[in-house]
Amino acid sequence: MSEDKPATSRSTILKALEIALKTGRVTRKYPFAEPLITDEFRGRIEIDEEKCIGCGACVLACPPNALELIEENGQRMIKYFIGRCIYCWRCIDVCPVNAIRGTRDFELATDNIDDLVDIVVHDMVKCSSCGSAFMTIRQKIYVIKKAPLTENYIDKDPKCRREKTLNALLKRRGGVMKYE
Amino acid sequence: MTKKSLDHVLKEYIDGIKSIYPKADYLFSNDTLFIVVPKEKLRDVTEFIHNKMDCYLRTCLGSDERPLLGHFALYHIFGDDRNGLNIVVKTYLDPKKPVAPTIMDIVPAADWCEMEARDLLGIEFEGRKQYRLVLPVGWPDNLHPLRKDVPYNIRPRPSAVGERITPPKTATATIPVGPYHPALHEPEYFELYVEGETVVDVKYRGFHVHRGIEKLGESRMNYQQVNFLAERICGICGFVHSTCYAQAVEKAAKIDVPERAKFIRSIVLEIERIHSHLLWIGVAAHLLGYDTGFMHAWRIREHIMVLAEFLTGSRKTYGINLVGGVRRDINEDKKKQAIEVLDKVEKDYMEYLKALLAVPEVKKRATETGILPKEDARKLSVVGPTARGSGLDRDVRRDVPYAAYNYVDFNVPVYDSGDNLARLLVRADEVIESIKIIRQLLDQLPKGPIMAEDFEIPENRAAVSLAEAPRGEDIHYIITGDGRPYRWKVRAPTYQNIPALKVMLKGAPLADAPLTIASIDPCFSCTDRIYVINETSARKIVRIGIGLCPG
Repeated sequence: MSEDKPATSRSTILKALEIALKTGRVTRKYPFAEPLITDEFRGRIEIDEEKCIGCGACVLACPPNALELIEENGQRMIKYFIGRCIYCWRCIDVCPVNAIRGTRDFELATDNIDDLVDIVVHDMVKCSSCGSAFMTIRQKIYVIKKAPLTENYIDKDPKCRREKTLNALLKRRGGVMKYE
Repeated sequence: MTKKSLDHVLKEYIDGIKSIYPKADYLFSNDTLFIVVPKEKLRDVTEFIHNKMDCYLRTCLGSDERPLLGHFALYHIFGDDRNGLNIVVKTYLDPKKPVAPTIMDIVPAADWCEMEARDLLGIEFEGRKQYRLVLPVGWPDNLHPLRKDVPYNIRPRPSAVGERITPPKTATATIPVGPYHPALHEPEYFELYVEGETVVDVKYRGFHVHRGIEKLGESRMNYQQVNFLAERICGICGFVHSTCYAQAVEKAAKIDVPERAKFIRSIVLEIERIHSHLLWIGVAAHLLGYDTGFMHAWRIREHIMVLAEFLTGSRKTYGINLVGGVRRDINEDKKKQAIEVLDKVEKDYMEYLKALLAVPEVKKRATETGILPKEDARKLSVVGPTARGSGLDRDVRRDVPYAAYNYVDFNVPVYDSGDNLARLLVRADEVIESIKIIRQLLDQLPKGPIMAEDFEIPENRAAVSLAEAPRGEDIHYIITGDGRPYRWKVRAPTYQNIPALKVMLKGAPLADAPLTIASIDPCFSCTDRIYVINETSARKIVRIGIGLCPG
């Protein structure tokens, strides 16, 4: 090192010290103090089981499949797994009944994976012709409320409904063929 | 640019190509000229576009169009930054045995993308050395994941092929850097061959984190979901990717995006640039052993991170982009706070920058190290601060304006020396320019909706979209399909910049290598598609044991 350099280095150290003293302390004693998050922060979601109608719109919108739709034994389940969630809140955007609420929770570490799973279970309606379960009871109520005309045919699943319509059309035209 | 001059430029291109192949089909849409030529004429056309018209190679990609038109297709995307044009040259290839002529000897920058097309689609390139690039060593030879008949979730049995360290027989010592970069904490592997203190050659291997996202976007997700996947290509410049993807779809489908949404996108893009550059400046200081500088850069950056969270809802991976607009508005309260934060950050930053550049060690170690001469930079089509540090004046924000960049006035800093200091100064200046841009955008923020209403995305339309990421230009190429992209190609800036490292490192002292590698601000998650690279002629390849990439 040349003779004049230490002096320059010293002056830069002093400059850094001046900045440091002026700034003071910027770190927080987290987790013993409040975390540094704003009101806009997106955290875990909460599904209101009273409001949810089990339509599955959130499942279709969810990019990482954190929300899943499972149907078994005449029941439909909306399963939310926090482990996959990216906190984008797209589900909140698309929910037709505002059943999903965003929270600011992000301290979600746990030693039990069940803590990360939320399941909403819905009973389903059975088709009056073929008996297959095709929509939730709440979904049916919601659809009838939105469009009262649907009450006439909503008890059939989409496949039976199509058959019924086509057969009615054929009959009206004098045909005898049964649509299958 | 006036309409007439654009017509004139287009005519020049079309005439030139017609003189090579009179029957060439062409189509002009948005800012892109699509040309179809047979593969026999591809090299002549490339020669004309790249050398005579002085265009950059943006990228090339293969596409399996057998279900649509019964052939493979190869697209070469060139960019004419002076006229804000993209030129896409399409070549049809045989559906049974796709073979294409290489253009690597004309455009050295085509090396990686050709090998990527070979790995992922099985397109063979004549007249060059071929090697496996993207896929792991254990992957079956005849399984090409991006072909449409290969399911996205296929998991072939990993073969037992491993890799071992075999010491080189040459007298030179080998210094491995990686497989995790000690400072950037990202998976990549450099092998430096040294003689004494001087690096004589370098080999790069990356693509350890190739995640097959293009396949995922093409086969499992829908248009709006891919935004969020695109954002996760990179942890630092994710918003650029999601903007670029959304723009590509919007261009292809001709969706009219509200002005306000465009402004918000630009504001968030610039916020991202500030945080990325501050991160990099901090890391550079850390690599030089100046940890005080590192701490202070990150202290200033923290204000920007909190601001980003306040504006978008998340510190990173903001998740506010959708095809057609954005999801979060900037109201008066947010605007006021943003201006306050910017004022504070600017004041702190100027003070910090003065202190950093006054440190004699920083200046001395960055000056005349890792030099990338202008000619090499041009040949390798490098992008971003790496190009601007080597005297190439290119920035797609200015050259091919997107989002709201044509409403603002800003400088593009260019330095000629091509060393680490030049790249540092480019980034340092860009932070100031970004603050300037955000102020102008906030000031001019138009009223109106932030999301386009009711749009349809027609099938089989193509578009090229560009966005200037903190590291350089980012390119997304889209061919629309049924409910999701038919082909989605991403080219991250680091993809173009890594080959330049070889030039920078050769002949330089070993002690400068960490800073030089970091000086291109590499982002390996963005880039990763490769396995073995840059096998140099005389040296024996040294392999280091690393795990196999999972399917």
